[in-house]
Amino acid sequence: MGDFLGQYGFLIVTMVQAGLLGLSLYFPLQAGQLSLASPGFYAVGGYVAAILLTNPAFAGWRDALGNGMFPLTWLAAALICGVLGLIVGVPALRLRGIYLALATIAFIEILRVISLNLSITGGAIGIFGIPQAFGFQDRWQYIWLFGPLLILTLLFARQLERSRVGRAFRAIREDELAADAMGVPPTHYKVLAFVIGAVLAGLVGAMSAPFLNTWNAKQGTFDASIAILAFVLIGGSRNIWGPVVGGALLTAVPELLRFLADWRLVINGLVLVVASLYLPQGIVGALGGVRRPPPPRRPPSVPVVVEAPGGGS
Amino acid sequence: MTAVTTERGTVERGTVLEARGLTRRFGGLVAVNDVSFDVREGEIFGLIGPNGAGKTTLFNLMTGLTPPSSGTLAYRGQKVTGLAPHRIAALGISRTFQNIRLFRALSALENVKIAQHVRTRAGLWAGVFGTSRAEERRVEDQAWALLDLVGLADRAGESAGNFSYGDQRRLEIARALATEPRVLLLDEPAAGMNTAEKGQLTAFIREVRARFDLTVLVIEHHVPLVMDLCDRVAVLNFGQLIAVGDPAAVQRDPKVIEAYLGGE
Amino acid sequence: MELSQLIQNLMNGLAIGSVYAIFALGYTLVFSILGIINFAHGAVFTLGAYFTYTLVVGQFENNGLLKGINLFPDGSPFSGNPWLFALATLIGAAVAGLVAVLIERLAFRPMRSRGGDPLLALVSSLGVALVVVNLIQLLVGAEIYNFPSDAYGQVRPALSFHIGEKVVIIRTVQLIIFAVSLVMLALLGYVIGRTRVGKALRAVAENPGTASLLGISVDRFILITFFLSGFLGGLAGTLVGTAFGVAGPYFGVSYGLKGLAVIVLGGLGSIPGAVVGGLVIGLAEAFVPAQYSAYKDAVAFALLFVILLVRPQGLLGRAQIQKV
Ligand SMILES: Nc1ncnc2c1ncn2[C@@H]1O[C@H](COP(=O)(O)OP(=O)(O)OP(=O)(O)O)[C@@H](O)[C@H]1O
Ligand SMILES: [Mg+2]
Repeated sequence: MGDFLGQYGFLIVTMVQAGLLGLSLYFPLQAGQLSLASPGFYAVGGYVAAILLTNPAFAGWRDALGNGMFPLTWLAAALICGVLGLIVGVPALRLRGIYLALATIAFIEILRVISLNLSITGGAIGIFGIPQAFGFQDRWQYIWLFGPLLILTLLFARQLERSRVGRAFRAIREDELAADAMGVPPTHYKVLAFVIGAVLAGLVGAMSAPFLNTWNAKQGTFDASIAILAFVLIGGSRNIWGPVVGGALLTAVPELLRFLADWRLVINGLVLVVASLYLPQGIVGALGGVRRPPPPRRPPSVPVVVEAPGGGS
Repeated sequence: MTAVTTERGTVERGTVLEARGLTRRFGGLVAVNDVSFDVREGEIFGLIGPNGAGKTTLFNLMTGLTPPSSGTLAYRGQKVTGLAPHRIAALGISRTFQNIRLFRALSALENVKIAQHVRTRAGLWAGVFGTSRAEERRVEDQAWALLDLVGLADRAGESAGNFSYGDQRRLEIARALATEPRVLLLDEPAAGMNTAEKGQLTAFIREVRARFDLTVLVIEHHVPLVMDLCDRVAVLNFGQLIAVGDPAAVQRDPKVIEAYLGGE
Repeated sequence: MELSQLIQNLMNGLAIGSVYAIFALGYTLVFSILGIINFAHGAVFTLGAYFTYTLVVGQFENNGLLKGINLFPDGSPFSGNPWLFALATLIGAAVAGLVAVLIERLAFRPMRSRGGDPLLALVSSLGVALVVVNLIQLLVGAEIYNFPSDAYGQVRPALSFHIGEKVVIIRTVQLIIFAVSLVMLALLGYVIGRTRVGKALRAVAENPGTASLLGISVDRFILITFFLSGFLGGLAGTLVGTAFGVAGPYFGVSYGLKGLAVIVLGGLGSIPGAVVGGLVIGLAEAFVPAQYSAYKDAVAFALLFVILLVRPQGLLGRAQIQKV
């Protein structure tokens, strides 16, 4: 077991992390918004954590809080990314389709150039020597952070989908104008979906900074946006399991292809092409096609009191 | 002359909608040109006119989907032009679309549930923590009841896009009713229906009006249906309102006859 | 700003801006007919530079599978003369065009016929880019290859002249880039304005689906567009490679991204827009004051963000009104 974790622990945690990033893009997509901004918020979240955990300015806090510093970094990252999401989202979400995607690409490129040049983000070198969360000895232990976050996110997503807000998201995805005419305010929900994604990506970033030990401008790039988009589309964009499966598989593929040595990145590109050609509904979509959801059952209009067999109470 | 009488009798009722000088230009084209009219509470108000006369554009102006170039529309004395569509829906004006705009990939049931948005309030956390169960149950019951009303309850789980043309139109009406409107705008509800279905539709619109205490505006090309259904009729031609009045009088109006003959 | 500085910046801006323009035209052509953004365009740009380099130099000494292979043991027939160099550039661009056609056949056409989510085109074209970039790395390594200084014969490397006390230096390469770009734009203008393909292209750009009405097979038409797009991309790659060196497999990536800023700034799908957008961004970058030069790469995206907010249809694009 120890051997297995030693060898694959890092990969497994990375797979979970990829699934989470996939989910961060999945929320805006639920409301029909193709945002490629996730890596930007991921990078910001990571920087927030890295700065809080290494910058001398916060040494006092670290001494006072001890391990409590880590949850604080999550909170701070979530908050800052939420606010940043709001600031970017309100103007950007007036755009549709590919225009929004391009605006979010502009957003991450601007963030990248800024982080390359600020001293607080360590410039081109970035921030290094980020302490391990809760004194973890091994990388696989980060599963205790990412695992619960994944479970909570999936529960959140499932509950959301069944709720009034989830319906509003879907209505906007299907037909924004009709949704508006039927009383669903599109801007409100588009921004909400965008901010949910931003907060999640920021949280993942804040947990990843100690995990990766260093943080720099390479963390939030355009390549990462498309990789994350691939997680969602190839996993399946209509089901919460899609981004998780896609993120895990696409992260594992290059590792599994290690025996191909230098060819593996070429093959990895081919996998993306072939998957987008042959799995247009995504992996989960292709599997789910076999199993249709049950038709909705009509609830009894008058509450019927069902008596247990044998009666009595 | 036919008496302008609703099923609720000839009781004097107030004005619900007042359009004043509504105008909309698209480039050089004036799709709706200085249109003013009143709609009285509880009536079925027909809107007819040749193709391209500006009827749909007028509905779009009334529901906020297209902002007017000038002019105003007031609903019970409150100005609604300039409001976002969802605000107008919240005030109680709802519609169907000529080129059906259902949420095609979603089930019939969900289409109707979505439209109850403005009458419910569960936010993000209420939904996630499941504290809005009572409201959800109400939404569910209401959606089923509306599907019953339009006769689609047994196909509640099917995707709206799979329905026949006529069924999609019925579903759109159910969806519009789910916003609990006081004014219902129907854009060519009978298009694509056969004669028998058209007959049923007339009865259905009357029934709905009575049951939900609605004012109904209906755009319709099929003249017998309009004459049979409407309390009053307005005629648009090239964006201009050329006649308003009770159906029989309008039908005899020389300007109307001219518009229809000239348009052929 | 002093006059000499102004002229220097202007020249720098026009040279780089005109490369942005012809590169971005490749994006715009494909977008205007298919409504998709071909993320492999940056990779085609890179390929063009490598193809030309192969013709002019014939060997990649440093690294990769092709290390040690020399195509022209007796010296490249394309080296040492400006006209032969130009010929090599055209051939390199044409091969890049053929690669773009291949990409269309393998990655886009099957998707169109299957009717998948159009977003998937983003992923598949990025997959293609990954394949291309990593193949280059595999074959010739990640090193920078500079064109030898005598590759285009005995040409003065720079012109310099005085304005008052100050010297203005204009690299010959910049002049060539600018001239070549102008010629390309004129040619493209002719193709689009005068030929049957060009007319069909405009028709389809304005109203998708009309190509078949004009008696042109849509598939063939799309192939021609991809060829043109790849040709322009490959040419831009060679021009940049000539000026700054063929800077490794990834050197097209940043151009690929800036090209997006260019086409959105000019107006997605608008052909004159791509030209204007390219020049605007090139000039804007050239006029960034020296002390802020680290932020130069953000200029294009800041402009992109601003234009999207104030005028989403771009400088020359037309607003689309949605019919209800
Ligand atoms: N968004 C738009 N942009 C440009 N022109 C428009 C737009 N919407 C409508 N028009 C034009 O306005 C005019 C009126 O159109 P409208 O759809 O309101 O007519 P209509 O009376 O509903 O016709 P029909 O009976 O065919 O439905 C038409 O000439 C139409 O082309
Ligand atoms: Mg109409």
